[in-house]
Amino acid sequence: MASDFDLESLVNLEQTFYDSGYEDGFNHGRIHGLIEGRALGREKGFEMWEEVGFYEGFAKLWKAIYTRDRRFDDRGLHHAQQLLDLIAQFPMANPSMSDASDLDIPRLFRQIRSRYKVLCATLGVRATLRAGDSSPTREVEEDRPRLVGDGAKRRVWEVQSGGQGSISGGLSF
Amino acid sequence: MAGKFDLNGGDGSEMADESPWADEGDGVGYGSNPDVEWAKLSNDFTNAGYREGITAGKEASLQEGFDAGYAQTGAPLGRDIGLMRGTVAGLLSYVSLVSQGQDELVAEIRDISNQLANIRFSDIAPRDMEAEQHALEHLESTGEAVDENEELEGKRRMEELEDMLGSLGRGGVKRAGIEDVKRLKERLDSLCARLEVSCG
Repeated sequence: MASDFDLESLVNLEQTFYDSGYEDGFNHGRIHGLIEGRALGREKGFEMWEEVGFYEGFAKLWKAIYTRDRRFDDRGLHHAQQLLDLIAQFPMANPSMSDASDLDIPRLFRQIRSRYKVLCATLGVRATLRAGDSSPTREVEEDRPRLVGDGAKRRVWEVQSGGQGSISGGLSF
Repeated sequence: MAGKFDLNGGDGSEMADESPWADEGDGVGYGSNPDVEWAKLSNDFTNAGYREGITAGKEASLQEGFDAGYAQTGAPLGRDIGLMRGTVAGLLSYVSLVSQGQDELVAEIRDISNQLANIRFSDIAPRDMEAEQHALEHLESTGEAVDENEELEGKRRMEELEDMLGSLGRGGVKRAGIEDVKRLKERLDSLCARLEVSCG
């Protein structure tokens, strides 16, 4: 009877228990990661595109006005068009999903903002501060762009789950 | 034994204190009652695996969730609202430049602008049914709610505070919803039509 006893299987027993627990845990953790990630991504996507969309709407309206008035050579129209061209480059999806090879989001964002200000100056209207602009977090995030550029795992908005500390630090672009 | 920790690329180093393997050296405990020991063995290792697994699973899927939420909900919804706000700001700047006493027109633009300014993402965000369902399951099985992300919880509390302050003296504030956004969009479109500009 003793000879039938498979010592190897007993050693593996612990591993088997561990593995089955791990698999269940992993599946459960995955659900939580998806849920929390989704909540964060929704907020971030809204925040970013609310601002970009604002500039887009503004530029489109003025382009429409110039077009209506047939003022095709007006500088304002050119600035509006240039702003729209920049915005067309701004991704609707986190570029990590496609290829983010040389997309510099913070730079593009800065260009869009300054082009918007140029348009406003040309029109002779005051540039409207966006609702979120006063919040310091946005500026802070901009000041420390955390573009992850190490080939294999390139992400523009990188989420890092931290056991310790807030996740906000890991959300960057 | 060391090799056992090489699961899924993790080095397992953070397990040091909780690992059931760490108990093995003491030589006591195992052997008194086989059934109890069996259950203990099973429980300890299964639970240790579960703990490690849940962390790994969460980390593995966080980015995927983020990207999905960004692309499927946040960005398109933000763009819709942003476009409307930008259009309204453009209209306001336009009428301020060409103002010929069109008070009624200006008032309409301002009203739309003010209403749009009050809309928050949380007012119009679609519900995350999977998240709600899962939170419910947790509540039912453990009696505890799922921890909310710190940052988002902070934001939500701030909004509650704003609502509370905002409702002082006005006897309650009804938050706008997606239906209100649709109505504002229609008003905006008819304004554009009136001015004979095509607003996207």
